[in-house]
Amino acid sequence: MLRVIGVEFKRSLLMLRRYPMEMVGQLIVITMIFYGLFLGAQYIAGPTAQFGDRLDALVVGYVLWTLALFAIGDLSWGLMNEAREGTLEQVFLSPFGPGRVYMARNVAGLLLTLGLNLSILGLIMLLTGVRLDFSWAALAPLATVLLGAYGLGFLLGALALYFKRIQAFLNLFQFVLMFLIMTPFEQLHGLFRAAGYLLPMTTGAGQLRALMARGEAFDPVVFGLGLANGLLYLVVGLWVFGLAVRAVKRRGLLGGY
Amino acid sequence: MAVLVAEGLEKTFRSRGKTTRAVAGVHLRVERGEVLAFLGPNGAGKTTTIKMIAGLIRPDAGSVRVAGRDPHRDPWALRQLGAVLEGNRNVYWRLTPLENLEYFGVLKGLTAASARRRGKALLDRFELTHKQNALTQQLSRGMQQKLAIAVSLIHEPALLLLDEPTLGLDVEAAETVKQLIRELAGEGQAIVLTTHQLDVAQQLSHRVAIIREGRIVAEDRTATLLARFSGDQYEIEVEGELGEARRARLAELGAQPLNGRIVYVGSPEGLWAVLEALRPLPILRVEKDRADLTEVFLKLVREEAHA
Repeated sequence: MLRVIGVEFKRSLLMLRRYPMEMVGQLIVITMIFYGLFLGAQYIAGPTAQFGDRLDALVVGYVLWTLALFAIGDLSWGLMNEAREGTLEQVFLSPFGPGRVYMARNVAGLLLTLGLNLSILGLIMLLTGVRLDFSWAALAPLATVLLGAYGLGFLLGALALYFKRIQAFLNLFQFVLMFLIMTPFEQLHGLFRAAGYLLPMTTGAGQLRALMARGEAFDPVVFGLGLANGLLYLVVGLWVFGLAVRAVKRRGLLGGY
Repeated sequence: MAVLVAEGLEKTFRSRGKTTRAVAGVHLRVERGEVLAFLGPNGAGKTTTIKMIAGLIRPDAGSVRVAGRDPHRDPWALRQLGAVLEGNRNVYWRLTPLENLEYFGVLKGLTAASARRRGKALLDRFELTHKQNALTQQLSRGMQQKLAIAVSLIHEPALLLLDEPTLGLDVEAAETVKQLIRELAGEGQAIVLTTHQLDVAQQLSHRVAIIREGRIVAEDRTATLLARFSGDQYEIEVEGELGEARRARLAELGAQPLNGRIVYVGSPEGLWAVLEALRPLPILRVEKDRADLTEVFLKLVREEAHA
């Protein structure tokens, strides 16, 4: 399996080296969108407005949102492209099976995705003057968010595999994702707060905001809840993806687009 | 042991209330070093069968064994199978040939180093070494097809499935691919070949299976099938005039001069008598009427359609 992760990493690097403008373009567009929003908010609030840790929380949420977008979307867009271009069936001919191959692709793509998002974060911090409290403890909730993101990625991948054309749905899903990542469920009360623990990625996103924007201490209980949440969504995602693989093989839908 | 044993394969597709029986009880068997031409009109069930063999479509009934293992139950059975599928690119156009070979080699279970080593050997053999670092999308169609075949062989599978391997290739590229298929079979590779180019099937195959409406309507050794559909007609060409006496003798034997040739319909023993009657005229040509695979195919498919 390590071999497959290795070769997938090499493949991702080759694609990046060969078509660097794709990534540079994404980097610039994503950063500019945030900067546009930031300038707009500043204009509405007036020149003397101080956003304080709310802006910090927004930066964490935005960068996390873009990270989740890549983590979730890579698999679905990849499956649709491969179905259209005619390489999907060759991947399915691997004895490792599609679940493991695409998991390896996710893991291999993670480093590049993290690199891209750290660059976005750096640019946004430079443009807005935000300074976040970074601690190594932040990696723990980040990992739980990624587990949930890959779980959702496999769920959407299952849809892409079965229906082939889900571009419109994926575009709309970005806003659902924004709601999940940017809503501060950890600061809400009652049912809304409870929902935050059940929805995908929200617990980890909330803990990241607490650590990096509000400078709070690491809470192992919240991390435990986030981890359970992330693992649950990953397991469900992989299970549904497996069901979709069986369904497309039964219905002969694998190669069609 | 046969490399491929497919027994009683059945597949029915249901879509929007419509039921299509794509494959209805197909049996196939391919031995080591054998090329099986799997032929049929469009929609006859060829690709569905090929994909059931490759584990890409799950059969409703029946079983597949590739080198003794079932690709639908044991994923490592796929280690023994390589496939070039029609209508697919089969390889990544944004990677170079060598990168494709290394990538798919690892996906098939090789180490990166052995995939790279074997990839280089295959590029050399397929005369693609000079293009090993070019992007695949920049290669000619023939080179891309050769690369797809090389990728399907990277892990040295026991069975190779080639779905329309010469489709869309120019004459020279098609000849190269045909030569490669011949060589691979000569080295012991078991190959299932589907094609609409029946001359290609005739040139390459040891055995032929013809499928129509999901059922195998003929399966035999290519030579046997051609002989079965060939007539008992011989054509003889000689130099010089036949003369009245010889013409009369030929007529007695059932042979008839026609447009400078002598046409004889009869047994091989009778042919010797005809040749004796022609002695001592120099014989330029003796040829038995031989059906080609196109005639066999059309007869079988039409007969079945009218049955």
